[in-house]
Amino acid sequence: MQASLLQVKELTKTYKRFTLGPLDLEVEPDIVVGLVGANGSGKSTLFRILMDIVKEDTGHIKFFGQEWTEDDIEWKLHVGYSGEILEAYEFLTITEMKNLISRWYQSWNHNEFENLVKRYKIDVDERYGKCSKGTKKKIEFIFTLCHNPTLLLLDEPTAGVDLVSQRKMKEDLMRFMEDGEKAIVLATHKIEEINQLCDEIVVLDSGRITHSFNKDDIYDTWARIWISDVVEQVIQHPNVIQFEMDPPQIVTNDVEALESIMQKEQMSITHIQRLSIEEVLEFLIDQE
Amino acid sequence: MKIPIHISEESREPIYHQVETQIKTLIVSGQLPPGTSLPSIRALAGDLGCSVITTRRAYQNLEANGFIKTAQGKGTFVNDVENRKIEDTKEKLAYDAFKKAVEHGIQVGCSEEEINTIFNNIMREYFKNGG
Repeated sequence: MQASLLQVKELTKTYKRFTLGPLDLEVEPDIVVGLVGANGSGKSTLFRILMDIVKEDTGHIKFFGQEWTEDDIEWKLHVGYSGEILEAYEFLTITEMKNLISRWYQSWNHNEFENLVKRYKIDVDERYGKCSKGTKKKIEFIFTLCHNPTLLLLDEPTAGVDLVSQRKMKEDLMRFMEDGEKAIVLATHKIEEINQLCDEIVVLDSGRITHSFNKDDIYDTWARIWISDVVEQVIQHPNVIQFEMDPPQIVTNDVEALESIMQKEQMSITHIQRLSIEEVLEFLIDQE
Repeated sequence: MKIPIHISEESREPIYHQVETQIKTLIVSGQLPPGTSLPSIRALAGDLGCSVITTRRAYQNLEANGFIKTAQGKGTFVNDVENRKIEDTKEKLAYDAFKKAVEHGIQVGCSEEEINTIFNNIMREYFKNGG
């Protein structure tokens, strides 16, 4: 088993009106983790703590198998983070920004930068502050990729981005993952990104991780079952998430358990259908 | 590069198995001839909406059974499959499909006799001359 790229243990941070954690998270190579949750659930705060922009109250963070001291920032060279950090340089043009930032990284890939700037049709002589929201997102995205990082922490990278560029970003992220040694943590509200990019899903609710699973487990365990009749025993069952009478049907997060009960009770199942990720996430995010 | 694979929402068959069976079918039916390059496990996972864990498992099984081969850095390709293996696989795929059809018939309440009649009618439809 390869070592984790990121390991978070018992992380907490308390603000006046919000507490993050205690929170555990592990990111292994070749895995894209989708971080989902309602607005204000703590996704951006988590990223800022990871990137050492905000200091945690308690807990341990290991990047690349190692806990780093405050003045040893080598790990940062291998992490690509997008989360509105470029705002601090908004008076610079994109070229000036590149000249500044590329100097921090020995591994900066000038060709890659030129290619991506062209690919996303960025006007490099424009001041960052003058760019639209979507263009800023694209520029941030380009900057996260050009120093050849091993781990990407992306905070809603496609918010406000046009459709064609969104597709390109998805392609670029897949290309990034192609060698099987890298990983991405992707905070997103977009179901297509979860469907097309993510392997694991972590649900954040009010600063706590409420669910964490492999995406395919959803298909194996969640289902909508149409039955001859919905009886009390079934409605009361802890694995029944929702029921309807017309026509009789239930939604469950443990299809095998429900099937065996129904067999025992001699209820006839007329139909079973897998749930989409979207439906399941709505249950998970909403009904907490 | 896209290949025509579809995950069923109705089937309880594990996704990796569905993917494996469908790629096998495409190979033995000649739709994916030897040497055809296949999408990477991540691209396929993206198309199907599943995780790379699932597509990797499908590819590993296909590779272990000699249907595909992976060349480091070049990608994954359809292998030259022996004739005997193609015949065996065809038989197995057809057998499984019949089995599923019969299960379906039983599920909707057909009797043995009714299923037999349906089967014979279909056979006549497809093999009018001779058989």
